[in-house]
Amino acid sequence: MSAAEQIFGAGGKRTRPALVFLVSRATAEIIGFRELTKEHRRLAEIIEMIHTASLIHDDVLDESDMRRGKETVHQLYGTRVAVLAGDFMFAQSSWYLANLENLEVIKLISQVIKDFASGEIKQASSLFDCDVQLDEYLLKSYYKTASLIAASTKGAAIFSGVDSEISEQMYQYGKNFGLSFQVVDDILDFTQSAEDLGKPSASDLAKGNLTAPVIFALEKETKLRDIIESEFCESGSLEKAVDIIESCGGIDKARELAKSKAELALENLQCLPLSSFRFSLEEMVKNNLERIR
Amino acid sequence: MTAVACHNLEFGRTMLDFLACGCTSNASFDRFPVRSYAKGAVRNVNRGYKPRKLVCFQPEIGPQTKTPEALLTDTPQVLDLKKELRSPASLTNLFEVVAEDLQTLNKNLQSIVGAENPVLMSAAEQIFGAGGKRMRPALVFLVSRATAEIVGLKELTKEHRRLAEIIEMIHTASLIHDDVLDESDMRRGKETLHQLYGTRVAVLAGDFMFAQSSWYLANLENLEVIKLISQVIKDFASGEIKQASSLFDCDVQLEEYLIKSYYKTASLISASTKGASIFSGVNSYISEQMYQYGKNFGLSFQIVDDILDFTQSAEQLGKPAGSDLANGNLTAPVIFALKKEARLRDIIESEFCDTGSLEEAIEIVKRCGGIHRAQDLAREKANLAVQNLQCLPLNSFRIALEELVKYNLERIK
Repeated sequence: MSAAEQIFGAGGKRTRPALVFLVSRATAEIIGFRELTKEHRRLAEIIEMIHTASLIHDDVLDESDMRRGKETVHQLYGTRVAVLAGDFMFAQSSWYLANLENLEVIKLISQVIKDFASGEIKQASSLFDCDVQLDEYLLKSYYKTASLIAASTKGAAIFSGVDSEISEQMYQYGKNFGLSFQVVDDILDFTQSAEDLGKPSASDLAKGNLTAPVIFALEKETKLRDIIESEFCESGSLEKAVDIIESCGGIDKARELAKSKAELALENLQCLPLSSFRFSLEEMVKNNLERIR
Repeated sequence: MTAVACHNLEFGRTMLDFLACGCTSNASFDRFPVRSYAKGAVRNVNRGYKPRKLVCFQPEIGPQTKTPEALLTDTPQVLDLKKELRSPASLTNLFEVVAEDLQTLNKNLQSIVGAENPVLMSAAEQIFGAGGKRMRPALVFLVSRATAEIVGLKELTKEHRRLAEIIEMIHTASLIHDDVLDESDMRRGKETLHQLYGTRVAVLAGDFMFAQSSWYLANLENLEVIKLISQVIKDFASGEIKQASSLFDCDVQLEEYLIKSYYKTASLISASTKGASIFSGVNSYISEQMYQYGKNFGLSFQIVDDILDFTQSAEQLGKPAGSDLANGNLTAPVIFALKKEARLRDIIESEFCDTGSLEEAIEIVKRCGGIHRAQDLAREKANLAVQNLQCLPLNSFRIALEELVKYNLERIK
């Protein structure tokens, strides 16, 4: 419990449950629902549990010490508790999921859990690999981030009982927003200070996790490849790499990518009636981009 | 690179060991020199080179002529070896009636896990190939075939097969994580996954397997089975937590021990046997009896395991003896002994800080009949399990299910 509090209480934004509720209400209006169903609420809880469980395990996998400005679960309590807490949360969410008794949603979310694991593996086996292509990066980002979000938004639509065309648009919204969100996160890893991030700056790069800004920069500047492949063994090489990425426009091109995904996400919302909920969903997309203005 | 060579050596032996020793004991004298040689180098790998990056250690099996797949699925050869080396009652003989099913299972498991990533594959092979008995899938197949007869089913369905794969994946995933949680170095006579590859790979491999099994489960599209198995995964986690929070707690009651054993062991087994009968389409009474069979057999199995932790040598166990007790995990023999001998409590509560105290504790447990009472308990559960089989028609599969219960008890005769 105290382990879970560490992360539940550590400044999480609850973006994903918020999305579930927003999409639930936005789509409910189409059908004429007044209130959210208990399935809607349970779905949001499940999503947040899965997200939290993945963060706990992620930190074990990355051997991270800090998250959101606080010590990570495994740093404080040891790897054992972290693995246990993560497992317990995955297990609980699977059980609640099964008891929702909706096969479509069960399959949807099970796919996500599978994608999480696949994403971790993809990332772990391509560290410091300068041949990584943009579409591999997008696939990995989908697995690690957008998959859960897309399943949340689609699941919410399913429980509202809207037709499959709209559910599919909600899925796409989740996917595009999720990708935009991840790209922005990846940019911020370069541009923000450690204080703002709540963890050391440029930690993705330091670990060999090559994200959008780096991939774009690698197309321009071959020197960068050498530095990365050296795995930053020389002091100052990480800072040098960050400079190169900024100066040859890697950050700018990544920003463009985040914007293009955001635009797609906004289009996906067209099928919804104009309401305060649809408006909030649009604002979420725009607020995300504000982070990298 | 020395490290890579050691890994290759280890894998070479893995394949041979599987052939030679097959399903049960892993005491192989050949392996010791290799392991102690490998141990030194592997330790260095883990210390000096922080596994930030998963390097692909392909299991090159050197001069051997057979592919890994062929070695693992070469069952007829294995069976012949067995008949020569072993006494009549053996797991392989018991499982002979479903041998082909198990062969197919092995093939499928390898491709499911290996398809994703070569590193995961070698990691999975480490544990898949480490003398696993495939008891749980065998149970699924036996119950499937035993119950199929009732409804006139001629062949196993793909749901049956998929269920067996899912069960084995869940079991394997839990072992991998268990070893991380227990910080164990050895399992089945070999280094544990996390000892060899680091905690990261172990957590990742376990997560991956849980995830894969959840996905396959969902795609079975049977709500009853989905709920059944999800309950198991929840029980696993609950069991781990129960155990972790009651280490060295001498007030533990037998009831709690049985619940914990249910969560950790019997839950999966009973879900397997019940799931198998659900897919056979038998009525709910029989499904319930199959559930009870699994539960009672599972408890009996766990109790026997717990007894063996005291009575077997490190060699036979494939890990240090008395390790449950050393870790503070108080099992049936201890719980019974604690009722008789107050001194035991003190020793346990000291958490064995004095040298020789563990040995003393084991002596006490044996001396005051803790083992005997645990044996009775195991037998009692076994009898219940055999009773649960009464609803099945008499056929070779039912007999195998009965024999399995008895075979388990033989381990503590």
